[in-house]
Amino acid sequence: MTTDTILCSYLIAELALRQLPCGGWAALASSSQPAVEPTCYSALALGPAAPTSHTERASEFLLRIQNPNGSWPAFAGDDQEGAWVTALALTTLCHLRDAITARLKGLNWLINFVGRESDWLWKWKFRTTDCHVRFDPDKFGWPWFSGTVSWVVPTAFALLAFKRLPYSSSGFEQAPFRIERGIEMLLDRACPGGGWNAGNGVVYGEPVAPHPDDTAIALLALTDHPEEAAVQSGVQYLEYAVPNLMAPWSLAWAILALAAYGQATESLQRRLASIPDLQAIEDTSTLALSLLALDHERALLDLGVTT
Amino acid sequence: MSLSRRDLLVGSAAGVAGTSVSTPFFLPKYHVDRRPRRSRVAILHAEQYSQKLDEVLAAGLLLFPIDIHDKRVVLKPNLVDYAPGNAINTHPLLILAAAESFRRMGAKSVIVAEGPGHQRDTHFVLSESGYEQFLRIENIRFVDLNRDELILTPMRASYTGINHLWLPRTVLEADFLVSMPKIKTHHWSGVTLSMKNMFGIVPGSRYGWPKNILHWKGIQESILDICATVPIHFVIADGIVAMEGNGPLNGTPRPLGKIVLADDPVAADATCARLMGLESNRIIHIRHGSKFLGNVYPGLIDLVAEPVDPPLTPFQTVPEFQHLRTY
Repeated sequence: MTTDTILCSYLIAELALRQLPCGGWAALASSSQPAVEPTCYSALALGPAAPTSHTERASEFLLRIQNPNGSWPAFAGDDQEGAWVTALALTTLCHLRDAITARLKGLNWLINFVGRESDWLWKWKFRTTDCHVRFDPDKFGWPWFSGTVSWVVPTAFALLAFKRLPYSSSGFEQAPFRIERGIEMLLDRACPGGGWNAGNGVVYGEPVAPHPDDTAIALLALTDHPEEAAVQSGVQYLEYAVPNLMAPWSLAWAILALAAYGQATESLQRRLASIPDLQAIEDTSTLALSLLALDHERALLDLGVTT
Repeated sequence: MSLSRRDLLVGSAAGVAGTSVSTPFFLPKYHVDRRPRRSRVAILHAEQYSQKLDEVLAAGLLLFPIDIHDKRVVLKPNLVDYAPGNAINTHPLLILAAAESFRRMGAKSVIVAEGPGHQRDTHFVLSESGYEQFLRIENIRFVDLNRDELILTPMRASYTGINHLWLPRTVLEADFLVSMPKIKTHHWSGVTLSMKNMFGIVPGSRYGWPKNILHWKGIQESILDICATVPIHFVIADGIVAMEGNGPLNGTPRPLGKIVLADDPVAADATCARLMGLESNRIIHIRHGSKFLGNVYPGLIDLVAEPVDPPLTPFQTVPEFQHLRTY
């Protein structure tokens, strides 16, 4: 067995151990409040590697906590208006035959979940009186939660969900429009020197620094657009940032993104695997992401990334 | 991204001052009056970040009659993002000094807790800004407030109209919450001090990165609602190297050589503003905070160490907040 294989088996065992009786995972090892984001990453990471009972229980949990409006909450017990993690839940459940109705409801909600700048009044405001953050309000995507503007990460995850789910049936006519605007929004929000942060590339005329994880997630959603300058400079930024990256969450996302763009990632995977006490990291999403990055070919397929 | 300052100012002036203050027939927007009869503030001199901070802070804390024996202490730094060479975050040596002091004073536990507002990778911010190493060596637990267990919490003021927020268990269960801001100017709120620092307790996992809902509801209003709901018991503000200009991320480091301790967040922030050469009463959340959260009037603040010595040149601000500068 290789070191990576041994490590993966430790990570799998640790993730399985952290699964709560309800089938979900909490964000932190010390918590017992199941949340959707860590549950989705954990279910995707365990995939075929763990006994099916783990992923089945995870799917059952996700189906059980779906909101009546088709969305998913951030965590079990949350208010029921819905959150960005709906896209992640749809990606996680995309293969499940029993989840067809849930997926259709979720997809319908996602298509209608829109950043506030899509409204004409706010467009006008951002064009005329509130211009300190540089962005084009015509290019809108998805917010984290309702009542706010679009941001990079939720938009990227929504675009990834649409890659995994068929939306050609009636009722989803708006999907191509939303996807097109979402791609435009990501390209518009890139930082001037390359890469992405949450979505504020320039504030008060000054460039704001990109983040490795946000950049990687945006790049994963844009693999069908390698010719775009923002995509190319995003990959360059990530290549520049990654030699000094030691934080496992950002490193794992960077591995997935660089692999998606055909870059060699073996040395990065070795670095990730060599992080001391990786399996003891309290953040469960980071643990799951590390496992996905160490098996990036399968992970990219599961996340809906086309390479 | 948020409403512009002009909107905030106008909105605040109309929505906050106009309704809760100027128009007598409207009920106040706060449900508690937490103002102490008198407040105590200590301005301590410290030229640089060094191991000597421990002694400076320990001596400063002796100026306050606080009893934290057997209490769960939560230190809330300002840990927003990381940029090399910039004065964005509360320095880790000050956090360590505070943790050590409170342990010596008999605290049951001392936890450092924060939910960075710009960067989803909390571990990245911790490691790059030097926190991870120090916390590990000193065996201090860190809780990521962006991902902590959440409890539905009714708001105890209604400036924003938000009825409730999901807030982290670690903060709500603290016996002694210490806000430890970096003294900075802020392009949306004028300044970011102990009260604005409380945005970090609002969890990103529920409200996003940045915590955009608070911007839409009004930054000044959100500060007031959050501080009314989660009381700050003590303030230790890092002004050894502060930030001016386009804060909280892209400003310029400004050596101030001060640490500010206070038992009242409004008094702390008003004093910090004066040290920055800014007019505290022109900062909306400080002015309105003085109606129910603490004292802003110098006559009600006992300065128990150094006097306020405003700088020759006030801190630079973005153009919308030039009016805060006193001269």
